[in-house]
Amino acid sequence: MANTKYIPRPFGLDREFFQLAIRTGTVHVQQCRACQHHQHPPRLFCAQCGSTDVGFVPTANRGEVYSWTVSHFTTDSGWLGDLPYATVVMQLPEGPRLVGAYRGDPATLEIGQPVSVHPEAQSEDFAFLWIDG
Amino acid sequence: MGLDELLVGPGLRFLAMNLSGSCAIVGIGETDYVRGATQSPAELILAASAAAIADAGLKPADIDGILPPANYLSNEEIAANLGVPNVKYSVSVLMGGASPVASLQSAAMAIACGVADTVLVTFGWDGYSAFRRERKVGPRRQQAQMPFAEVSRNYYAPYGVRSAAQWYSFYLSRYVKLYDVQPTDAANIALASRRHAHLNDKALMRGREMTLDDYLASPYIAEPLRKLDCCLETDCATAVVLTSPERAKDLPHVPVLWLGGAEGHPYPADEITNRPDVLRLGLHTAAPTAFGMAGVKPTDMDVLEIYDCFTYVVMMELEALGFAEPGGAKEFVANGNIELGGRYPMNTHGGLLSQGHCWGFNHVVEATRQLRHDAGRAQVPNAELALVTGYGDLGDGSLAILARGDR
Repeated sequence: MANTKYIPRPFGLDREFFQLAIRTGTVHVQQCRACQHHQHPPRLFCAQCGSTDVGFVPTANRGEVYSWTVSHFTTDSGWLGDLPYATVVMQLPEGPRLVGAYRGDPATLEIGQPVSVHPEAQSEDFAFLWIDG
Repeated sequence: MGLDELLVGPGLRFLAMNLSGSCAIVGIGETDYVRGATQSPAELILAASAAAIADAGLKPADIDGILPPANYLSNEEIAANLGVPNVKYSVSVLMGGASPVASLQSAAMAIACGVADTVLVTFGWDGYSAFRRERKVGPRRQQAQMPFAEVSRNYYAPYGVRSAAQWYSFYLSRYVKLYDVQPTDAANIALASRRHAHLNDKALMRGREMTLDDYLASPYIAEPLRKLDCCLETDCATAVVLTSPERAKDLPHVPVLWLGGAEGHPYPADEITNRPDVLRLGLHTAAPTAFGMAGVKPTDMDVLEIYDCFTYVVMMELEALGFAEPGGAKEFVANGNIELGGRYPMNTHGGLLSQGHCWGFNHVVEATRQLRHDAGRAQVPNAELALVTGYGDLGDGSLAILARGDR
């Protein structure tokens, strides 16, 4: 179907990130067991101390708006019917930021606005992150 | 130790002594800037390259280094078509629109070290036709994979965020909120570019009037970017020939010296949203290196050719370069300051916004013309120093400081 939204097939650590969110309903981000540094998207090394002992830890699924993109034009047929749509950058208190689709009114977005994230499985390996304000 | 030395440091001192002024632009070439070329990218790139070599008063066999645009035409194909029998150095830079100006740095290194004597740098593409079904010429070539493809595929594209305008809006939305930047501020850049394009026979938008009302009526693409904040999709090619200043003395044109340059990458470069400060671009780290190497200041510049994929990105670049404090570029671009006749004439050829988009290498061609005093009606009187920037991928940056040399 032409208007179907694109579902990626992530590999490796990216797949783990989505599978954990699907299984638990909670977004998990990486934390280094050596230096406690949080990071996202997942990397093979801790970017702060170089350790490879990096695992996933749960977040509170809550944060605040850091920035966003409000699209009024798209080359993506899967999103054509949603115009204008907002894609929000959400600041987690743990440090990392998440990107997700905003389900509120794009016109009222403010920096610092409290938001929550809700993963919705689209396949075994990928979930949309919906952000609500 | 003087203040200048403290600012420069040993690494920069080495660059200032060994790289600054080590090469000069001696030839330029460009095709027309069109929507719907009847020639393939390969033909355009070869035409621009041949023109640049002829402009330098050289033969293809004099070239011994080739820096081609990744995946559009290889060094090997360029050499075979033009007749370049002895290529000693070839590399393609993968920084999107920051690649051309960063390539000048690579050419300078090759020439300064004696790896190559005379280097051809060329960029060209089907930036209009590749995105349209009615394209007139083939074959279609796959663009080189973007260095951030994995992140984009898993974290941006699922939400319908697939274009440069959408990626950059992740930081431009925050920029305009934090610094209260208005559409009328960005309009100054779009309107200046259009006015300059009217003076350029090779500008796509020559003769197409644009008023502030036209600008404000243009639809949003991705806020804050309106259609008239965006550069033009273009089929075109450009080329530049560089050699040592000694060799340049025997060639037809006043040499244009590469006084300094640098590339910079935001961190992490493959993902925008988790940067400690999303408003920090690659150009922020590159600019002090280039100015330190060249031994000049932003206020010394006579002409600015700033990579203008989007008006608001130009503002962030001007701040990264030191022309304004964070949030201060809106004042810098006001009141005709960036127009011909102003203190800092910018994008005197019309830029990517109104001349056409050749990865920003048309900015290098224009800077060279300005410093040769051969820029026609757009000439900045007595131009001695020009600044060119590149910007690409997810905020990579590059710059070059060019100077009119001696005959």
